[in-house]
Amino acid sequence: MRFGTRWPPVPAGILIGISMLLAFVVAGRGIGASGAMTRLVAWVQHSLFPVATEQSAYFGRYFADGAHPLNDYVVFILVGLLVGAFVAAWLSGELRVEVLRGPNISNRNRLLLALLGGILTGFAARLARGCTSGQGLVGGAELSVGAWVFLLCIFAGGWMAAWFVRKQWI
Amino acid sequence: MDIAAPFAKTGVISAATNLWLAIPIGIIFGYALFHAGFTDSRRIAWAFYFKDVGVPVVMFSAIVTGMLGLWGLSLAGLIDISLVYMLPTYLLPMAVGGVLFGIGMVIGGYCPGTAIAAIATGKIDGVVFIGGFLLGSMVFGDFFPVWGDFYNSDYMGAFRLDQWMGIGLGPTVLLIVIIAIVGTVSMIFVQDFVWGAKNTLSKSRPFMKLQGALVAAAIVIGVVFAFFPTESFIDDSVETPYYIVPKAGMRGAAP
Repeated sequence: MRFGTRWPPVPAGILIGISMLLAFVVAGRGIGASGAMTRLVAWVQHSLFPVATEQSAYFGRYFADGAHPLNDYVVFILVGLLVGAFVAAWLSGELRVEVLRGPNISNRNRLLLALLGGILTGFAARLARGCTSGQGLVGGAELSVGAWVFLLCIFAGGWMAAWFVRKQWI
Repeated sequence: MDIAAPFAKTGVISAATNLWLAIPIGIIFGYALFHAGFTDSRRIAWAFYFKDVGVPVVMFSAIVTGMLGLWGLSLAGLIDISLVYMLPTYLLPMAVGGVLFGIGMVIGGYCPGTAIAAIATGKIDGVVFIGGFLLGSMVFGDFFPVWGDFYNSDYMGAFRLDQWMGIGLGPTVLLIVIIAIVGTVSMIFVQDFVWGAKNTLSKSRPFMKLQGALVAAAIVIGVVFAFFPTESFIDDSVETPYYIVPKAGMRGAAP
């Protein structure tokens, strides 16, 4: 049996679960993506406004005791994530510079909506202390009540908003 | 013999080695995200229209795998669960964050991990999404005093579903396996009903056989869990350390 480019969902999910399990066994913590983004913001902002960033109620902790915000587990996971997705797409012949969108929307509007969605999820991930992977999948496996509420609310929010942006996708 | 895992916390490997090992773990994660179809914003967004329910099925499968693995290794005495970082629950902020996150996902078509993977495969909308994501994170951090109190509210500690429902860990694990299966089957039913032949999820025969076998294995493991005495190995008196922005003087315990 050949899986091809798009694997059936169960084996694909199991492989994601295995990467999460490896992180549990090796590091005693989960995987994630949004934490590295926050650290990237802290690092860029610190190079522009060092004093204000170190005194920031939220970003300041990344610089405690002279620490470097990018010297952290989540950043190394993110580097691996980039490499893994690149290699998988390359081996499948799917490396293409393109804008993905539904048939009824222009590239410009698709990119505007991508920006807007990014801003919203960026804010929301900080509020929820993680994203779909770091909070949802890892917390889901740990049976965390907060993570399961977070997952349910993602789908509730998505379904509520889906009708308003249907032209983008369908 | 002492419990060896998690290796970084029991001193089997150094902190530096642990960081380097994160890269191959991330590579597996990214490789799987691509083959799950998660580098395509349309497939992710279609989940919210039931046009392609692959996304929630992948998520269910990943959670069940991680859950059976984590608690199974703990039962087998191979991992010291008290050394694994447990995510704390801040109920209301997480609920509000989840709703906003879902709205952002259907507008933007990605979540952060999938957008990063999409960037690695050349997707411009992924680059723009991450630009927005960084902006949103920055706004949250720089105006933190505005919503800091809400962010730290409703703290319940590392609060698990089995504690919340007042049943054992084993039955809870089985329940999650069942919810994942029932959820998957009913979502596929809705997808077929609404979209008919226009839906995009492959149901080729060998794929379905393989997935059926994997699901059956998960049920068997879940049933073993449900009848295994699990009370002995979790020490709920140990409080999870804070991870993100502790609030001065607040030391709430799990209810």
